[in-house]
Amino acid sequence: MTNDHLKKLLVYCMLCCTQKIIVQGAQTFQTKVALLRHVEPNNPKCFAEGIRDLTCFWEEDEERAGSAKQYSFIYTYQNENSSECNVTALPAAGGRILYFCRLSQTQLFVPLDIQVFRDGLLIHNRRLHIELFFLLDPPVNLTVKRTEKQGQLKASWMPPPLKYLDDSMMYEVSYVIAGTQMGQVEEVRASSEVILLGLQPGAKYSVRIRVKLDGVSYNGYWSAWTDPVLMATLPGDLDPLIVSLTLIISLILTLLSLTVLLSHRRFLLNKIWPVIPNPESKFQGLFTVYGGDFEEWLGYSAGGLCLRPAYFYSEELPAPLEVLSEVSLDLPSSPLPPKAKQAPGEDEKLKRIDSLMERWRETPHEHWLMDQLRVLHQLPGPQCSQLESQDAYVTLNAQNHSGEEPLDDILEETLPLQALFASGRTCSESHSDLGSLQQSSGSGRLSTQSSFEYPNHTWPPKGPGYTYMAVADSGVSMDYSPMSSSRIDYMGKGVIYTNEYRNEIPAHRQPIPFAF
Amino acid sequence: MGNRRAKGRNGEDPVRDYVDSDMEAPRLLTLLLMLLEWTRPGRASPLRPICDLRVLKHFIEEAKDAEAAMLTCKEGCGLPEPVTVPQTKVDFNVWERKNAPEQAKEVQSGLWLLSQAVGSLRGSVTDATLHSHIDNSLRNIFSIGQVLRSLNFQVFLRAPCQEYPPPGVGVSGAETWRVSSASELLQVHVNFLRGKVHLLLSNAAVCQQGGS
Repeated sequence: MTNDHLKKLLVYCMLCCTQKIIVQGAQTFQTKVALLRHVEPNNPKCFAEGIRDLTCFWEEDEERAGSAKQYSFIYTYQNENSSECNVTALPAAGGRILYFCRLSQTQLFVPLDIQVFRDGLLIHNRRLHIELFFLLDPPVNLTVKRTEKQGQLKASWMPPPLKYLDDSMMYEVSYVIAGTQMGQVEEVRASSEVILLGLQPGAKYSVRIRVKLDGVSYNGYWSAWTDPVLMATLPGDLDPLIVSLTLIISLILTLLSLTVLLSHRRFLLNKIWPVIPNPESKFQGLFTVYGGDFEEWLGYSAGGLCLRPAYFYSEELPAPLEVLSEVSLDLPSSPLPPKAKQAPGEDEKLKRIDSLMERWRETPHEHWLMDQLRVLHQLPGPQCSQLESQDAYVTLNAQNHSGEEPLDDILEETLPLQALFASGRTCSESHSDLGSLQQSSGSGRLSTQSSFEYPNHTWPPKGPGYTYMAVADSGVSMDYSPMSSSRIDYMGKGVIYTNEYRNEIPAHRQPIPFAF
Repeated sequence: MGNRRAKGRNGEDPVRDYVDSDMEAPRLLTLLLMLLEWTRPGRASPLRPICDLRVLKHFIEEAKDAEAAMLTCKEGCGLPEPVTVPQTKVDFNVWERKNAPEQAKEVQSGLWLLSQAVGSLRGSVTDATLHSHIDNSLRNIFSIGQVLRSLNFQVFLRAPCQEYPPPGVGVSGAETWRVSSASELLQVHVNFLRGKVHLLLSNAAVCQQGGS
């Protein structure tokens, strides 16, 4: 029983192996038939898989095709008698029938004549040398390995196991970057390994190979490609040449940038680290002599502060306007309107003013004012205060406007404007710098000119009263504002007209409520 | 060689000794044998094995060129008479049953036949180009003999136009057949070199041992 079982098992294994071999053989045969169908134009298409076999086939349309028995395959070696091969039929693609004949014992290096008959009629005739029609199986055990060097792969394989043909085989190695068509094909003769050079570092390559005889003693067709084998090359190291060039270029750029920075170092320092302004130059002696004590420094230079009024005031304050004299030829001899609460010391001043008025009457010339000013300077005027300004003193007389609320007699704007510079002007000023007030009746226009024009005609009589106006000349505009309160009682209804001069006084006036 | 007696006291000629005359013959004979040994023809120094098959492949290519040139020839390129050429077919089942000496003998016999046949063709061809191809083929056949000798195959082919065939070569043996055209002759030449000669050289024992 045991022996029977063993025998049955052995037979079963053999059958399975045979079936597997047959299936593989069939697949191989179909592959080779498909390959030859495209490369061999003649019929019958023949190929030798080894040194002892030959397979020839042809195809017929199903319409014209007959059974295999209708066909005769006759082959004749040179100087020998003819022989016949049994024809076999298989279904082919496209509704065609494949007829083939396989010879298991062949002679090489001698001409072979092949004739195919169908029902006695010759349909195919061909002469060939079997050793020139090899179609081998693809190489097996294709192995791809990395070498120690970059950009290289070593491929090795097992050649087809055919005796006498080892030194006549040539191989074609195809290697492409996986997923792309970028690759090359390299030919190898009489060797079963090759080192692929010039590969991209760190790239995955797909390598495949096929075999063919070299055509000297044997020849044939290219075999089918093997299954591709994937292998990645070693990652690339930094090329020393590239590294050196990069270092040199970076060094050159660094030197250039340093040169530029050094040539513009002052400009860059000022931009990045600007120098803190030191006002020491403006305050001479403040830090060197007084050690930064500003009060002491102020006291030392009190006399000279008159020279620097601008450092303390951003804008010029209005200076009090004091009428120093009146110009009118028709001035009554009556004394000036009484002043309330006049101090005794002011009597002399009034007397002096009267005298000045008389002089005006006597010498109505342009330079009479200069003379008057000189006289005024002789008077003990107000102390030169720190708040001395260069403003012009202007007196405005009240004026009756038609259509407007009657004004107090004090406001006589029809009277000419009289501008007198305040006493105690700085010595740096020149007396030529006298204010100029163009006379205009009722318009009250004033120009910012600093020249003084004094008309030759007589001044209109002064009104019963007049008010003090502070004039601040900033060089752009002249601001007039009421200042003195000693004449309040003369204001009457208290309407005071003020004019702001921006190069030109606007025609209309905006009466402001009188308020102190 | 015997002692010579010096001249007599009175200067008389010495009488030659019988022993000296007997010794001269062996001397001469020895000298003669030495000379013959040195001048004996055909005894060459052992050659280095030529295992590189590129030499044979070069010869095969030149034989193909000669065959291709003969196909274009129309006049003045025929054999004066049919010649005997070796069989070129190789049945590996039969070939492998032969041992190396038998294979070598078959190859050298075929080379001799080819040399004779190509030699006769050389005399009938008038075309200059074909003439050069034929001369080249003859030289290549002789060179193959040298290669066989280097592989320790006993070769009896000493000259391209040796008059007497090597031993064992029959005029009408099974391994021969007759051709009547120059193109057939050169085709046989090509097939013989590609087949049997190549098989013999590629499987030489000397080359297998040295690891070619």
